[in-house]
Amino acid sequence: MLKKYKPFLRAGAIDTMTYRFNIMIWAVITVCQVACLVFLWLAVYRSSTGGIDAEIHGFTFRDMIAYVVLTTVFNYVTFNNDTLWFINNDIKKGTIGNYLIKPISYRGKYAATSFGSLLTMTVLFGLPFYTAALVTLRCLGFLPWVTFPAFFAHLGLFLLAGLCASLLNDAIAYIFGILCFYTTSAWGLNSLKGTLISFLSGTLLPLAFFPAGLRNVLSWMPFAGMSQNPVLILMMKYDLPQSLRCIALSAAWIVALELLAKLLFSRAIRKVTVQGG
Amino acid sequence: MRYVHLYFTCIKRSMISRLEYKKDTIVALFSFFFSNFCSLAAIYFILQAIPALAGYSLYEVGFFYGFSMMPIALDHLFSDELWLVAYRRVQEGDMDMHFLRPVPVLFQVFAETFQPEGFGELILGVALIAVCASNLTVTLSFGAVAVLVVGALFGALIITSLKVAMAALAFIFKRSGPLLQIIYNFSSYAKYPLAIYPAFIRVFLIFVIPFGLFISLPVDTLLHGTNDPWLLSLSIIGCAAVFFALSVWVWTACERRYESTGS
Repeated sequence: MLKKYKPFLRAGAIDTMTYRFNIMIWAVITVCQVACLVFLWLAVYRSSTGGIDAEIHGFTFRDMIAYVVLTTVFNYVTFNNDTLWFINNDIKKGTIGNYLIKPISYRGKYAATSFGSLLTMTVLFGLPFYTAALVTLRCLGFLPWVTFPAFFAHLGLFLLAGLCASLLNDAIAYIFGILCFYTTSAWGLNSLKGTLISFLSGTLLPLAFFPAGLRNVLSWMPFAGMSQNPVLILMMKYDLPQSLRCIALSAAWIVALELLAKLLFSRAIRKVTVQGG
Repeated sequence: MRYVHLYFTCIKRSMISRLEYKKDTIVALFSFFFSNFCSLAAIYFILQAIPALAGYSLYEVGFFYGFSMMPIALDHLFSDELWLVAYRRVQEGDMDMHFLRPVPVLFQVFAETFQPEGFGELILGVALIAVCASNLTVTLSFGAVAVLVVGALFGALIITSLKVAMAALAFIFKRSGPLLQIIYNFSSYAKYPLAIYPAFIRVFLIFVIPFGLFISLPVDTLLHGTNDPWLLSLSIIGCAAVFFALSVWVWTACERRYESTGS
């Protein structure tokens, strides 16, 4: 009687396992990359004039390791965004025509999709990964122990900054998506976007290491708000006014980028080329 | 001879389909240069803050980075299709057509794509090596240059062999892309001198996944004469021969177990 359900049971089990397998693969790849960075930073601090305990541009070795680990988790949770690919697909398959005659905003549709994805990622992966990372880093002495009220205040600011980061990322992905109208393929644009964000947001290297002139320009750009600032808020390196200033700057940029996106879209839509249905 | 002719015919066809997305190719090329520029800028900014990295000067570290691009670029030119085999093509049942043709499947996979982006990598790497070398005082011996050439050429063969073996596993597991990714990513370890790593990583990078053997050791030999160049050349060639033979064996064995997914 129950026998006929066996294939479904099997399929379900395998499905879950492939899912788990994907996470495991991501974990292995990430651990290898983070390990490489840890060795690099260890060598950097050992080679510095002050030795391993030196502080370079405001970061001790311990800070740097905590920063590398937390940016990795932050980027995984926050930047799970397919807006660029969705738009590219709409152009390739010609389905963009359908959306243009529907009474919903094209932008709104993908903003909502991204927000949904952010919620799932935060609850499903953010919660366990951040907890694991923060507890491990504190137990190993890479982050100082702090009082609960201070921690939760920063956690609240961090969540707000994280939301801003995700919205900024989605706006930039959308703008690059609109550029697909002109290039008809997303591969090049996607890798350009990835590189641009990872370098200018401080993921590759904290902006404190950049030369003064470049650092000043970048402090007014939206990128630092996409990775460096939220992580530094979580590490409690920023005090309240500094955190609020970062969040306000990000919010202003979200408005500016959305306006730019609106302008670009209304221009680009005039020259839609679809490659067939 | 027939195969040479066949290879060029296939590549011509693949280039024509690439030209369909000319603007995207230009953006991709630009993005590639920009991405390397960013990595180099990051290394430069870090080295501004310290006197030297584990005893290596800025130009020496740049030399490592530039040379690491040589074997990677050479492999990139010819074997990019293996990524698609590992990630998608077996799973999507797209490989069947290759099994119906009277030419070895592995040859067809190589003839499927030629990546001109590899030239960008090659040019950038050579430029970086030239700039760094002109700022270093190295005594160029014939042996040290020879070991670099051997490292680049046979290193590329080792990378390709690793990719062939990993991609072949897709014939059994349907999808082996992530595994290939894990192995391939170790190449980023070889962008820095081996001296920055603890002993077990060094052993791993020389004897297990030998990116260190054909990238870091040859550069060390040129800059500091740490190894006998001829012995090192011989080890790299021997290692490449073993990896190549093993990868072809793995590919043939896995190919026999291929079952179409039919979808």
